[in-house]
Amino acid sequence: MTVFDLLIDYIQSGRIHLDKFRFTQPTAYHDPCNYGRKAQMRFGHGFFEEPRWILSQCMKDWRELHPTRMDQVCCGGGGGTLTTGYNDERIFYGRKKMDQIKGTGARMLVVPCHSCHGQLNNIKEHYDMDALQVKYLWELVADCLVL
Amino acid sequence: MDSEDRMEMTQLEFGRCRSWPHSQDYCITCGLCSSACPVSGVDGFDPRKMIRMISFGLDDDLVVSRWPWICTMCGKCEHVCPMEIHIADAVRNVRSLRPRADVPGVLHKGLEAALDTGNNLRLPREDFIFILEDVAEELAEEEGYGDFKVPIDKKGARLLTTIHNKLVNTHTDDLKHWWKIFHAAQEDWTVASENWEGTSWGYFTGDNEAMKVMAGRIIEQMERLEIDTLLWPE
Repeated sequence: MTVFDLLIDYIQSGRIHLDKFRFTQPTAYHDPCNYGRKAQMRFGHGFFEEPRWILSQCMKDWRELHPTRMDQVCCGGGGGTLTTGYNDERIFYGRKKMDQIKGTGARMLVVPCHSCHGQLNNIKEHYDMDALQVKYLWELVADCLVL
Repeated sequence: MDSEDRMEMTQLEFGRCRSWPHSQDYCITCGLCSSACPVSGVDGFDPRKMIRMISFGLDDDLVVSRWPWICTMCGKCEHVCPMEIHIADAVRNVRSLRPRADVPGVLHKGLEAALDTGNNLRLPREDFIFILEDVAEELAEEEGYGDFKVPIDKKGARLLTTIHNKLVNTHTDDLKHWWKIFHAAQEDWTVASENWEGTSWGYFTGDNEAMKVMAGRIIEQMERLEIDTLLWPE
């Protein structure tokens, strides 16, 4: 099962409880290519709504990047580019994503993908965005747990 | 038409790309793909050129170039393509033609390690278990997680989870997020002590056979441990 299905199941069935008031900084969500656009094109279902619903259980307010969903811009860390050694190209690739994030004023970016997480954390210093906190969606859920 | 004016038909053989099922020959050269691509222009790359070169059988030039490797196969080009050409799959197919020893960076080396040992790091079973238990002890020191233990090879658990190799290498703290959630949900979960690798770099190198092997090994773990549900966060 996907990370989204499991988290939604835990939340809806009441197996976990989340505190919506722990994170108040401006936050945005990034659609990974493989969970979103490519899942829609290859398998007929893109995971767009599921992560947004989970995010809304963790925070009262968060922001969309623009463009988003099927039209989102890749972060530049997909396809194994973090490991090919073509780092200048990969960092340059991420410029549009970083502009999008800057445009929202977000200080925290939530992603449900290991590659996006690695890429965004790696390139933020090249775009004067060292303070940007990049967070896995499941990390946010873990941080909001009421035990 | 005089017979001497006839087109030399052998020019249209197009070599090994002829049979590719990506609709590459339907390209109308509109350039929407190139406009949509965040990495167009880098090293002279753009998706339209690439598709035209595949269509014309110039794949040898593509195979040795960096182009298919600086593309992330994100599919934005394909989403805007009016002819519904499978551009990302075509890129992956070009990647598959690169001799394995020439695959850039550590991609094929990591995959070879995974095929040899079950994980990209060649991490032995006992070291893997040591790392998991070490991180579990750390978590057990946090408030609310006092009785936390990591269940390894638990037969009959409800849920098996894979592990991204970086979580037992440079990012061990990131193991704790899912563990905290499992703990709070009182999930009956486990992790396999072998063939736990969640990444499948054959996806990146265009190696379908390697992907089948890696996926098959995860299924073997589910069968060995008698588990019905898999969480594959990678």
